[in-house]
Amino acid sequence: MSLTRHQAGRVRGSVVLIVLIALGLIMLAPLIWTLMLSLKANSELLRSTTNAFHAPYTLENYVAILQNSGVFRWLFNSVLVAGLTTLGVLILSSLAGYGFARLEFPFRDVLFVIVLFGLAIPEQAVIITRHQMFAALNLHNSYPGLILPGLAAPFGVFLMTQYFRAIPKELDEAAMLDNASRLKIFWKVLLPLTLPAQATLGIFTFLAAWNDYWWPLISATRPEMFTLTVGIASSQINFAQTSGLGYLMTQAVFASVPILIVYVFFQKYIVRAVAGQAVR
Amino acid sequence: MRLLSFAQRFVSLFILPCLRGRWRACPAGGGITTEVLPPPSCSLTLHATSPVRCATGEDEGGVRKRVGLWPGVFVALMLAACSPQSDRTQITVQRIFGECRANVPRDQAPIRNPDGECEILTGLIDRFQRENPDIDLKVNIVAWPGYDQLSAQYAAGDPPDVVSIHMSSIPDYQVRGLIVPVTPYLDKAGIDAGAFTPAARQGVMVKGAAYGLPFDNWTQLWHINTGLFRQAGLMRGSEPILPDSPEALLAQARQFKQATGKPYLVQSMINERAAYTRNLYTYLMNQQAVFFKTPKQITLNTPEARRIVGLFKQIYDEGLTTRDQDYPAATQGFLNGQGGVYLGGTWLIGTYENEAQTQGQPLYQAYSVKPYPALFGPHQTAYVDGHAWVVSNRTRSAAQDAAVARFLKFLYDHDYDWSRTGHLPTVQAVADSEAYLNLPHRRDIVSLSHTGQTLPPQVQRQFAIQDIIGDELFSAITGHKTIEQALTDAERRVNDLLFHLL
Repeated sequence: MSLTRHQAGRVRGSVVLIVLIALGLIMLAPLIWTLMLSLKANSELLRSTTNAFHAPYTLENYVAILQNSGVFRWLFNSVLVAGLTTLGVLILSSLAGYGFARLEFPFRDVLFVIVLFGLAIPEQAVIITRHQMFAALNLHNSYPGLILPGLAAPFGVFLMTQYFRAIPKELDEAAMLDNASRLKIFWKVLLPLTLPAQATLGIFTFLAAWNDYWWPLISATRPEMFTLTVGIASSQINFAQTSGLGYLMTQAVFASVPILIVYVFFQKYIVRAVAGQAVR
Repeated sequence: MRLLSFAQRFVSLFILPCLRGRWRACPAGGGITTEVLPPPSCSLTLHATSPVRCATGEDEGGVRKRVGLWPGVFVALMLAACSPQSDRTQITVQRIFGECRANVPRDQAPIRNPDGECEILTGLIDRFQRENPDIDLKVNIVAWPGYDQLSAQYAAGDPPDVVSIHMSSIPDYQVRGLIVPVTPYLDKAGIDAGAFTPAARQGVMVKGAAYGLPFDNWTQLWHINTGLFRQAGLMRGSEPILPDSPEALLAQARQFKQATGKPYLVQSMINERAAYTRNLYTYLMNQQAVFFKTPKQITLNTPEARRIVGLFKQIYDEGLTTRDQDYPAATQGFLNGQGGVYLGGTWLIGTYENEAQTQGQPLYQAYSVKPYPALFGPHQTAYVDGHAWVVSNRTRSAAQDAAVARFLKFLYDHDYDWSRTGHLPTVQAVADSEAYLNLPHRRDIVSLSHTGQTLPPQVQRQFAIQDIIGDELFSAITGHKTIEQALTDAERRVNDLLFHLL
């Protein structure tokens, strides 16, 4: 018995749906596991983590986090650092992207290649030099110290350059005929057209800045300057994976909540970015 | 250039006229502080600022910032948060062990886990602050083990005054002159170096000077499930029968497995390098082998080492140990009765003792703990490490030096409190005291404060060496390399590391 094309399509759709649900569950399982562990007492988890499937559940780990004297300060620091880094990257990358895409100036192509070299240099290669430089400038344990390294964003410059290049030059020329200045063309005509790329770049930059651990670990050595990632790591007891597992998981949940909020608000742009639709 | 002054430029050029102000970060609870400057201006010039102190009394040092900001709300915050300079002497103490304020309400007894490292230390520091109101003790809690941050602080020229580190790390900082001898502080506090246990003294003495206040010694122990031992016929009265040779150990292990169906040893073998190395060190010391002829040369491919690795490989090959467990799994496995002996640290005593006191648990009234038995000769010893408080080499006033001395004296005076964690005390009087010996199992392990041995005091990079040796031993025990090859490789890699040090 052969299926009609319509029936075959429905079967195929159902199979795809089942596979996607299965994959979705696989993706979700660690998150659910983390959440459940966070709702259990540490003493119970010490005996067995399968206890996570049984009541009683407790909020004591969340209370413990909120009672930590520094946690809201760290949260504030993370928001400030991630927010200003994102803002800075958007501003610099847009301006640089516009310049590389639209302006003629000496050594433009050479400079662009130099910027692109930045994509090939891992942070590990420059971390010691950068640390020494920031120490000499007395920038450690400061917000600029946490934010400035994130502003060097060759990917952002590259992305915005490509995006500006994709915008027809006729738009600039039409605006020039109307006597618009370069700045006005950039601000009023081209920048609004780059919003999808800005959103993509902004989201990725924010996520990277929020999750950054290494640089804040060695630059912000005073508790009042910790970001959330470093702060919650510092509050882990030794051997937290055995005697403080619930608390450990609660820290993971707590640190990811702001990111989830960002995701909820910018879901459309994130999906578009991941699907590669941000750059035409 | 500071980022915010860049932001100021941008804002002032493109968006808003600006107000001018100074801001900087105050310690937690101190808020963001700013100072109002003369009338608003959009000048981009940077100016030096005068010192500002926050409510907490922190000297702002390198965190002072001078930027233009617009919102008046920051000005209000500044005015609310800052106050005149404090007369209290400020010192900074940096520690690991985590944050557990939820378990230790300020100035109250712990409401949970009273014998935990974090809880005890939090309570002690609270008490010091309460009893010494003239000292502003600022506490940095950093992620374990804390060396990345400490090294970064030294590189930036801003180390804490007092910091807790492992005894095995002292040579790394001492050789570079980053820490100073604590003897003058101990003298000032009236503490005689002879008051410490031999194991503690070994851990902090370099070239005849004490480079840290020893806080504890810790080591690997034999945590024993006496219920399973009894089932296997390995108890004599209430005491477990311990092997006294490799052959006796193998015979016991086989007997145990036959009787209980479970492996004799519970070991953390995955993502674990330290345990292998500590086992090797202990049994090399047991054979009185000198494996560091100089602090920069290790000798590992020796008959003594081959005997030890051969024993652990045989245990592995015969299935007399758990396999493929990491540290949490092994810790939990022993607790749930998966094997007879867990090779674990001093810090687990409290955890397992709690289980031994809890009806219905596999370890209920079935837990004992002993030092590693001497398998390769009569010389009873064990490799030990420990925690110590070191003093950074930085400029301090006489008042700050006095405050440091008082803090060290306070910790010395409360060595008993810290020994409740399971770690060995460092003060001989505490080790001899009835209060300490009456803590669970302490009579069984207190001898280690005399017999325990650290590595020679000038061996640098002990953590890295531990990882290299552990890596190679894992290969040998699991059969990926021959014992000979693994020991040769370990020796070569460690000596290569040591050769390139200062």
